[in-house]
Amino acid sequence: MTTAAMTGYRAEIEAALASGWRARNLYATGGGRTVRVLLTAPDGRNQLTAVDADRDGAVPSIVDLAPGLAWDEREAHDLHGVAFSGHEPLRPLIDHSAALKAWTVAVHGHDPYQVAVGPIHAGVIESGHFRFHVVGDRILHLDARLFYKHRGLEHAAAGLPLPDALPVVARACAACSAANGIAYATAVEELLGLRTTVELARARTLLLELERTWNHLNDIAAICAGVGMAAGNAHFLGLTERARRINAAVTGHRFLMGSVAVGHSHIACDPATVRSARQNLQEIEAAAEMGWRELSFNASFQDRLGGVGVVDAPTAARLGVVGPAARATGIADDARSISSYPDYQDFEPATVSSPAGDVQARMQQRMLELRQTFLLLGQILDAGPLNPAQAVVDDSTPPIQIGVGLVESSRGATSCIVERNGDTVGRVRLRTSSYANWPAVAQAAVGNLLPDFPLINKSFELCYACCDR
Amino acid sequence: MFTLLRDLRRLRRQIDLPSPDRPRSLAIRHVDAGSCNGCEHELTLASGPYYDLQRFGLGVVASPRHADVLLVTGIVTTRMHDALLVAYHAMPGPRRVAALGDCALGHNVIGAENTLAGPVAAILPVDLTIPGCPPTPDQIAAALLELVDRDPPATGRLFRRPARE
Repeated sequence: MTTAAMTGYRAEIEAALASGWRARNLYATGGGRTVRVLLTAPDGRNQLTAVDADRDGAVPSIVDLAPGLAWDEREAHDLHGVAFSGHEPLRPLIDHSAALKAWTVAVHGHDPYQVAVGPIHAGVIESGHFRFHVVGDRILHLDARLFYKHRGLEHAAAGLPLPDALPVVARACAACSAANGIAYATAVEELLGLRTTVELARARTLLLELERTWNHLNDIAAICAGVGMAAGNAHFLGLTERARRINAAVTGHRFLMGSVAVGHSHIACDPATVRSARQNLQEIEAAAEMGWRELSFNASFQDRLGGVGVVDAPTAARLGVVGPAARATGIADDARSISSYPDYQDFEPATVSSPAGDVQARMQQRMLELRQTFLLLGQILDAGPLNPAQAVVDDSTPPIQIGVGLVESSRGATSCIVERNGDTVGRVRLRTSSYANWPAVAQAAVGNLLPDFPLINKSFELCYACCDR
Repeated sequence: MFTLLRDLRRLRRQIDLPSPDRPRSLAIRHVDAGSCNGCEHELTLASGPYYDLQRFGLGVVASPRHADVLLVTGIVTTRMHDALLVAYHAMPGPRRVAALGDCALGHNVIGAENTLAGPVAAILPVDLTIPGCPPTPDQIAAALLELVDRDPPATGRLFRRPARE
């Protein structure tokens, strides 16, 4: 961890980015007196670069170097009072008290008009606001405003004993409960000098891949719903239900909640349970392949998906897009390929053969990854029953103050940073894949038909809950 | 397409959900007031092939203007407080409010006090509570059916409730 002087901060980050490192997380700490940036190397090494605020509470902005961290700077300003010199305009993100002018782009002329959608939406979906600038049917620009579901979870975690804060993080979002929990547990274990054993890694890999399974099935169902393809939606929702039942059989909870703990795993599955899960997964896979084939040969369905909601590779790279949305543009980036877990050792990120970065590519990317996940799950379950596992103390590493956990959730790379205050949480910053990708949704909408926005949104299927926290 | 439909029909026969003869229906408007999205996912599956809420005449509608029940998930955040009230007041009478999930009921809530407005009951009159974290699609369906079966209010009732055989 380095603390750069004001002048060195930008130079250090610029140099890291130039050598292929990625800026993954930016947050304020110490009551807004310090800003830290997490940089990760292609080989998985982490570096935290910090800068202290000046007398006026300001630090230099790095939004020109890492546009993907724009929301992080806006959040640090809104919640911790940090000013970012050079971030102009620094629009409110979490602060909803500001006037429309403060957080939307001005639109001039007779033809453009605004369509305000949300926070409450027409279906069963999370709350968030989208303000479209439209000409005719085409979207000129989209200003998204989220954080309606901001519950102050990071604030609530501060002061709790390190193991006790895990449920706070794991319940931020039901769809990413396992991934977020594992990111937190990993960060805390780094703090406590605990090393993951093979058995513990196996249990956690199982959870991550079970979570990815139901999420990807759900996403395919959602994309079908986005174009009114009821049969496809019903088929894949049925498979999502079956996947959730496997979660319950293996961990006792349909969303895997309560299955992650700091320093250990209590998941125990006898051979019969493992065999049953294996069998069910094979049936789900076969049914998913059948449904996928039907959707692939449905011309009027496929016609709705091609060329819609395009995010190209340069935009995805510039905005720091992660997960299936990034891989659908051809960016072969996946946190599993730098994971230390044995089951991920030979992992190669999959990318669709036509990485157009449109709805069609993002949907195909889900199916591609499902096939990888089914293989992984088969591997894990074929290795035998699951027993409770314990991390071991690693005496070789000195005690540290800040721990980092990085996992590939179903929507992409998620990082959790934990600063300790003795045995309690001093500061926790959970930056999920949904948080990383929301700005890309606004980009994807531009130039598209307004009625296609639900489809575009569903092709990302990002969580509002783990963004808002 | 044909294969999908045929497969769904086969699945329906296999799951063998009873289709009861109920004379009533319920139009549901969902509002997420600050959930973790678990309740929403289970509510979505409640309309899926394994539970099929619609065979009971229960359906999610797009607007509070069309709704009988406001189904609220999540602990109500300060940022969702006003929108929740707007949705409620847009509903024509008779209207009911259902609080779905432990957060909506104020149980085991995690968060910072200054960003939370309170459980649903602190803001709206709650007619039905559905506990769980999250409640399963089964539990959601059973609770909503209980609401349908309750006696309707004296005002606005068009037909007498048919006598049970």
